[in-house]
Amino acid sequence: MITLFRKSTIGLLLLVCLSACSERRDSSAPHDAAAITLTYWPAPNPEEIQLADSIVKMWNRMHPLIQVRMQPIPVSQSTEEVLLAAIAGKTTPDVCSNINPVALREYTQAGGLVALDKFSDFDSIAAARIPKDLLPIFKNSNGHFYQMPWKTNPVMMFYNIGMLKAAGVENVPRTYSEYYAAAKKVTRDTDNDGQFDIWMGERDIRPIWWERLFDVYPFYIGATNGETLFKNDSVAFQNVDAEKVFGFFQHCYDKGYFPRTFFQGGDPFLLEKKATHFAGPWEIATLSKFAPNIHFDVAPLPVPDDHQGPVYTSGDYKNIAIFSTSEHPKEAWEFVKFLVTAEHDLLMLEITNQVPVRGDLLTNPLYARYFSKNPMMVKFAEQAVHTRGMDTVADLKEIFDAISQEYEICAVYGRKTPAEAVGDAARRCRAIMEWNQ
Amino acid sequence: MTRKVNILRAIRESERNGYWFILPYVIFFLLFVAYPLVFSFILIFHRWNIVTPMEWVGMKNFQRLASDPQFFRAMFNTFVFLLIHIPLQIAVALGFSLLLYSRGMFRGFFRAVYFLPVVVSGVVVTILWQNLYSFDSGVLNSLLSIVGIRKIPWLIDPGLAMPSIAIMATWKNVGIYIVLFLVGLQNIPKEIYESASLDGADKYSQFFKITLPMLNSTMVLIVALSTIGGFSLFIEPYVLTGGGPMQSTMSGMLYIYNQAFYFGHMGYAAALGFVFALVILAVVLLQRKVVEAEPS
Repeated sequence: MITLFRKSTIGLLLLVCLSACSERRDSSAPHDAAAITLTYWPAPNPEEIQLADSIVKMWNRMHPLIQVRMQPIPVSQSTEEVLLAAIAGKTTPDVCSNINPVALREYTQAGGLVALDKFSDFDSIAAARIPKDLLPIFKNSNGHFYQMPWKTNPVMMFYNIGMLKAAGVENVPRTYSEYYAAAKKVTRDTDNDGQFDIWMGERDIRPIWWERLFDVYPFYIGATNGETLFKNDSVAFQNVDAEKVFGFFQHCYDKGYFPRTFFQGGDPFLLEKKATHFAGPWEIATLSKFAPNIHFDVAPLPVPDDHQGPVYTSGDYKNIAIFSTSEHPKEAWEFVKFLVTAEHDLLMLEITNQVPVRGDLLTNPLYARYFSKNPMMVKFAEQAVHTRGMDTVADLKEIFDAISQEYEICAVYGRKTPAEAVGDAARRCRAIMEWNQ
Repeated sequence: MTRKVNILRAIRESERNGYWFILPYVIFFLLFVAYPLVFSFILIFHRWNIVTPMEWVGMKNFQRLASDPQFFRAMFNTFVFLLIHIPLQIAVALGFSLLLYSRGMFRGFFRAVYFLPVVVSGVVVTILWQNLYSFDSGVLNSLLSIVGIRKIPWLIDPGLAMPSIAIMATWKNVGIYIVLFLVGLQNIPKEIYESASLDGADKYSQFFKITLPMLNSTMVLIVALSTIGGFSLFIEPYVLTGGGPMQSTMSGMLYIYNQAFYFGHMGYAAALGFVFALVILAVVLLQRKVVEAEPS
């Protein structure tokens, strides 16, 4: 009996050891030892992991000799930090689909990316997918393309229909003056404690650089009809339009239309404490999930009163790149082409509610059913044509940090005029660029 | 002669054992203290962002430092923090240590309670205070609202943010200084108080003429420790304010961290750290001179 028990125990232990030592295989892992294995890093949010998983499964079924192993980007403060660390440690994947153009210059300076235009069919693939006037903004200053434009999240204005109607605002504000007029009606003190508790809008007032990608930057693109902050690697934002943008936010804070605080007790738009909110299409899912009773819609961002033509905004692009550590760049390029097919763009819309960078989104019958089921996404698809990305200058984080600090001093606290703040921001940006040359 | 050689061999053997014993610490020291020190000194003269190769820039990092108003602002903020934090820390620690030293009930319990924040993680304490200071949903503002007082923008007003952080840092660290003051108080001979009483000295005179002067050496230690601790102010502004509002809580350490790990300017951050260390050394030496020069 004891012998039997001992034998069983040893057998069990051996089984446990063997199962612990064996590699766990998932459905997307390669199953042919002779096959080429590519590593693919998508963004680590659940929707994009689901999208990547679906596409990788299809690819692996169709390409038994070129297998793709999908692994979400390791969670960190930012994807950029992870990728830079991976470049330093030469542990980058073959393909990544969460490339923020803000950090592209750093990646290319480190020699981390493969120029995609060296592949003979890059031009035809890009031209078939991306609107003609949009493509040049993704070109690096050395004339090469290191990113395949993939998806965009145009920053637009969400508004609470009920709150605007209750305040007597009939039309959605389209200009700064209309926004002020609406704000005057909406902003109020409901509990008579002498402090406003319902506001027209709200932004995180902390000087965090990326927060400016959702206020100052898209508003600047809107005010300038699609200009970005730099031209030929030189500061180009010291102008009246930038002063108008700073002035707009300064007026909103000065009159109390925006609270001079940051909220910790929950998202004020979800709590119906503010009537407008500047965000991308991902917000639709958040609102539908956490505040299904809020009746909301989207509109282009407010622009200066004398604005003419379509309203441009920031695209908040995330693109695809191949890393230079890849031992199979040609196969990786084939996989990139597979990621950006029309069918997979439809899958992206359906799973993630994010907008593929395609010129034919609203004309291709493939997407018609999706847009008829999701009418709000039509507005984002329409806006996507009028978006701009980030300049590919170096040290954008530090530059946005400086702009963020000057914006805070001027707009939030009113200690500088817009002209002074824009001038100081431009001077600081020039100094940063000069020092880091 | 043979006996002499044997003794020498025995000593050498015991020395060898000693070397074995200190070896783990030597390895630790070389890896985590000496190597980073030497490496950061080399970095001072280079531009490096971890991913690209190091580039020799000579004294350029110091030239940038000399014309960097943000760094001087961060240094100024650090001194503002020290000016609020150190006197507050000493006053609170001395007050509580005097209370604990007098024969009160539950002395042991209170000693443990005051020491508790010291052993709790800095990030945890900071998040706790974030919930206390929060403008819209904070405990402090909720209490103020109940008694009809307007909400206070603790971390939003540029004039209030640094004092708010100083209060938090005092709460976090006061326990350790209470213990130090208690040790100092216990070392004062009771006979001095007895003879002072016989000479007609009241409690007030005893405190200023006996207690405070006799605590001088403890005071020197506490001032030096809280100065060094104050200069390393980082977690609180990093978590609570990110250096704002209007850069009013951007401490020297936070600025160095941002330059190194946020913007990837390792060389410049090393130069800032070098200057920062010199400033700390100068301030601590100066303080020591001033406090020790006080007549005891």
